[in-house]
Amino acid sequence: MEDIPAVQINHLVKEFPSPFRKTKIRAVDDVSLTIMPGEVYGLIGPNGSGKSTTMKALLGLLRPTAGSCYVFGKNSLKTDSRQEIGFLPENPYFYKHLSGEETLRFYAKLCGMRGKALNNHVDKMLEMVSLQDARKRRVGGYSKGMLQRIGLAQALIHEPRLIILDEPTAGVDPVGSREIRDLIVQLKDKGVTVFLCSHLLEQVQEVCDHVGIIFNGKIVKAGPLEDLIAIEDQTEILIKDAGPRTLARIKAVIADSENADFISMGKPRTTLERLFLDEAKKSNATTMTADQKGGDRA
Amino acid sequence: MKVFYFLGVFAVLMLAASFFEMPWSRTTEDSAEQELIVLKSTAMGAMAMFSILFAIAATALLIPKDLEDRTLYTILSKPVPRLDYLIGKLAGVLILVTVSLLLMNGLLSIILHFKTEELLLVEMAKAEAHGWSAEHLELRLSAVAQQGVTWTLQAGIGAILFKAMVMASLALLISTFSSSTLFTIVIAVVIYFMGHFTEDARNYWLHSQSGGVSKEVKLMTQGIALIFPDFQLYNIIDSTIEGKKVPQGIFTRLAILTLFYSGIYSVLAWFTFRKKEF
Ligand SMILES: Nc1ncnc2c1ncn2[C@@H]1O[C@H](COP(=O)(O)OP(=O)(O)OP(=O)(O)O)[C@@H](O)[C@H]1O
Ligand SMILES: [Mg+2]
Repeated sequence: MEDIPAVQINHLVKEFPSPFRKTKIRAVDDVSLTIMPGEVYGLIGPNGSGKSTTMKALLGLLRPTAGSCYVFGKNSLKTDSRQEIGFLPENPYFYKHLSGEETLRFYAKLCGMRGKALNNHVDKMLEMVSLQDARKRRVGGYSKGMLQRIGLAQALIHEPRLIILDEPTAGVDPVGSREIRDLIVQLKDKGVTVFLCSHLLEQVQEVCDHVGIIFNGKIVKAGPLEDLIAIEDQTEILIKDAGPRTLARIKAVIADSENADFISMGKPRTTLERLFLDEAKKSNATTMTADQKGGDRA
Repeated sequence: MKVFYFLGVFAVLMLAASFFEMPWSRTTEDSAEQELIVLKSTAMGAMAMFSILFAIAATALLIPKDLEDRTLYTILSKPVPRLDYLIGKLAGVLILVTVSLLLMNGLLSIILHFKTEELLLVEMAKAEAHGWSAEHLELRLSAVAQQGVTWTLQAGIGAILFKAMVMASLALLISTFSSSTLFTIVIAVVIYFMGHFTEDARNYWLHSQSGGVSKEVKLMTQGIALIFPDFQLYNIIDSTIEGKKVPQGIFTRLAILTLFYSGIYSVLAWFTFRKKEF
């Protein structure tokens, strides 16, 4: 429907001065990416590859060395571009002397909410992240998972159209991280655009429809998840509760057909993980052989 | 929270000071006034020290603390202009300083009031004993009352608040480019002390350059005076302790000067903070 991208990053470069050398650290190197409204985009990459830096530039917390970032068509260096963004930083932390409820009220006020609307929103958010029982407790005493959830609530308080999550499930137990994942799916159903980064490839695969892989500040692969992980000439059949006889008969059917070959049978894999590791290998190979042969095996 | 501990200490100090009998007390003619002045100068010295140190330290801690906690990320990623963030933080500190000054002022006024009443009675008793004339008694009573709770005293406390306000905005400015809290505090304190000599330094400089002072030099000294606040005018705090009247005009000028300094420092703070990266 809408054709203004929710996120548009054009040739973003971000350099940090390095204290001891003349050369600068290039944390983000010519990254371009576009996220359309309603998409769930997952940025994956190893530690220090520039994921958080990209997100900070998109939020106007950092000024690009070169290139530009736009959020719904507004330059991210302008304050009003943030009207539409909710942000959950990595390892969020809040004023520890405030209670969970006060924290949310504080952020709601920052977004310009007042009076009844504010109260309603705060209640709604506390319920959504199931922190009603802890609403009067000081945030200083919250567990890591609770901090992450209050962080999510804070990011969503003004019902933004775009939500940026920096490792939303870091340090959260499996149950908690499943809840967070369900929440992301819920948001997606409501049409909210999600931009997240994570190391947990399984989870990225489950919720994201678009994926970008970033290494040393460069996007090495990007596109719709389906395209990235599909192996064109193969078909996967998923069967629940199949007994040995059923499996034997399926194998027999495949053996009977003229050009189909049976390859393997087993539990489904996290194919994104395989893709990620492949890319990691390739990226390492190119950086290692680059100065010897100038070769490119990718 | 630590603010309230200080207020507690202040209260104890005040009560102690009011019951403490000065060794020389009631020997000379004006001992009653002296006693009140000692009480006031103890209290107002403590008030000034507290509010100025608090203004510097609390403001210096604001941004580093938010950055360390990463609360700054969540705050600045909301549609909040950076200027609003700075002003909000500064206002928070100033409100805290104002409230604690009001509380301390209240306590001081109550104690001072009762002390003055007591001393007035003593004077009247003396008058009866020594058979003072009506005029003499009248004179003594008004001299004592002048050292009691007066508007002048309130003006002095207002000046303390003004001074704290200037120092808070200065500390805010320094903290926007300083990389450590300690540096901010030390520089702010140094500038604070220098601020008491700005006028002297400028005069000395201008006089030592006998003959023609060039326009450039004049501009430069004026520029320095802008960066380093000139606290000369704030000396009315001391005169109010001694019960001297402060003309309305001086107080108004002081208010304007304070707004001017705070405004300049806040604008400069915004200029550096606007482009800052996190
Ligand atoms: N303020 C800064 N000053 C100097 N260098 C920085 C700064 N911020 C980030 N960097 C460098 O930029 C690179 C990218 O950092 P970034 O935080 O974006 O990585 P990341 O992909 O988020 O890693 P992680 O998965 O560990 O969160 C790193 O090498 C880091 O050291
Ligand atoms: Mg990161």
